[in-house]
Amino acid sequence: MDFKDYYAALGVSESASPEDIKKAYRKLARKYHPDVSKEENASDKFKEVGEAYEVLKDPEKRAEYDQLRKYGARADGSFQPPPGWQSSSGFGGGGYTEADARQFSDFFEEIFGGGRAGGFSGAGYSGGFRQARSMRGEDVHARLALFLEEAFNGCEKQVSFTVHEPDDHGRLIARRKTLNVKIPAGMREGQHIRLKGQGAPGLGGGANGDLFIEVELAPHPHFVVEGADILVTLPVSPWEAALGATVTAPTVGGKVKVKVPKGSTSGRKLRLKGKGFPGKHPGDQIVVLQVVMPEKHTQEAEALYEKLAELEKNFNPRSKLHV
Amino acid sequence: MTRKDQILTVEVADDNGNTFTLREVCERGDCHAEFVIKLVNYGIISPVEDITEAREWQFDMEALARLQKALRLQRDLKLNLPGLAVSLDLIDEVNDMRREVARLNQQIRQLLGD
Repeated sequence: MDFKDYYAALGVSESASPEDIKKAYRKLARKYHPDVSKEENASDKFKEVGEAYEVLKDPEKRAEYDQLRKYGARADGSFQPPPGWQSSSGFGGGGYTEADARQFSDFFEEIFGGGRAGGFSGAGYSGGFRQARSMRGEDVHARLALFLEEAFNGCEKQVSFTVHEPDDHGRLIARRKTLNVKIPAGMREGQHIRLKGQGAPGLGGGANGDLFIEVELAPHPHFVVEGADILVTLPVSPWEAALGATVTAPTVGGKVKVKVPKGSTSGRKLRLKGKGFPGKHPGDQIVVLQVVMPEKHTQEAEALYEKLAELEKNFNPRSKLHV
Repeated sequence: MTRKDQILTVEVADDNGNTFTLREVCERGDCHAEFVIKLVNYGIISPVEDITEAREWQFDMEALARLQKALRLQRDLKLNLPGLAVSLDLIDEVNDMRREVARLNQQIRQLLGD
C-alpha cells in the first residue's frame, strides 16, 4: 500500500493552520470538481483532495496521521501501519460527514477503517443493508465519448462505470461494472440515454437504479458538428469555382455528387438537405467551398494566367483593404 | 449467450414518454421537493412543459442529470441557490465556448490545409 501525503495533496505545510487547510481545500475542490474541470484526472484529484481534507480538518485524525507519517512511511513510498494499529477517532462514529467515504483510498480505509460502511450513516442505512428499509438503488450518471461515425451510424460499445453495492457483510463497496450497450444511430452531443435497472442494486427489495449516459463526440478530422448539421470544407479549383462543376463530396454516410454553382467564391456554403445527423428531425450537411490553387503551373498554364490577368485587370482582390 | 456478452438496448432521451414526475426526481436525487421547486424557480432546471402546478411537472433526462449535477455541486462546494444558478450557467457557457473553440480551431486547420 502506498503512503498518502495529505499535506502534499492540499499543497500545505505540516505546520499549516486549520484555516489554511480549509482555504487550500476549498480552492482545490473548486478547481478539480469533476463537474467544473475538464482536466483528464480531475475526478481522481478531487477525491484525493477530499480525502486529505477529511483527515486534516479533524484535529484528532490529523494528530494520528502525523504520528503515522513520522513512523509508518518507508523510504520506497510504501506504507504499513504499525502492528495492532487502531484509530481512536474512527470515521463513521465521528459525526455526520458530507464527504463520500466510499470513494476513499485503501490507505484511508486501513488507517481510519470502517469509513465505507459508516460514512453512509447520513443516507440512513448505517446498520448494514439487511436491517435497512426498502430502498431504490442509486442512479449512475456516466459519460461516453463516441466517434462521429459511431454516433451517426449507431454502434455497440462497452461502458464501464462504478456502482456501490453491498458485499457479503452488508457493507457498501465500489464495484466496477462493464456492459455491452447498443447505441442507436443519430446520437448527438449532450444527448442522454438510459439503461433501466443497470445502476446500483436496490436494498431490501427496492428497485435497481438506472444508468444514464451522456454522449460526447470526439472531434473528427474533416467533419465539424453544429447541432444536427454537419459542416465540411470542400476544396475546389479556381476553374471549378469560376465555371461551375459537379464534384464529389464526402458525407458521414458516404460520397455524394455536389453541384458547384458557376461563379462560386471561397466561403460559399452549399446545403445538402438531410445529409446531416439522422433522427426525427434530420440535419443537413453544409459544404463550405474553399478555392485552392495547384502549387505549380506548367508554362502553358502560366501563359493562360497572363491572358486572364490582362482580361481581369480591373479586379482588385484587395479593395476591402483600400489598397 | 453469456451475461457478459449480452448487448443491452438503450432508451434515448428525446423519445416519447421518457419523463419523470417531481416525486420521481426527488427519489432519484434523494432530495426534497422544495429543493427541486427552488431549482425550477431559479431557472436552474425546467419541467418539459411550463405548468404552474408542481405536482404535474414532468422532467426529462437532461433535467434529471442537471439536478444531479446541482446536488453534487451543492454538496461538494457548499453553494447556495444563487451561487448554484450562477455556477451552472457559467459552466454551461464555458463548455459551449470550449466546444466552439475546438470547432473553430478545427475549421482553421482545414482552411490552412493542415
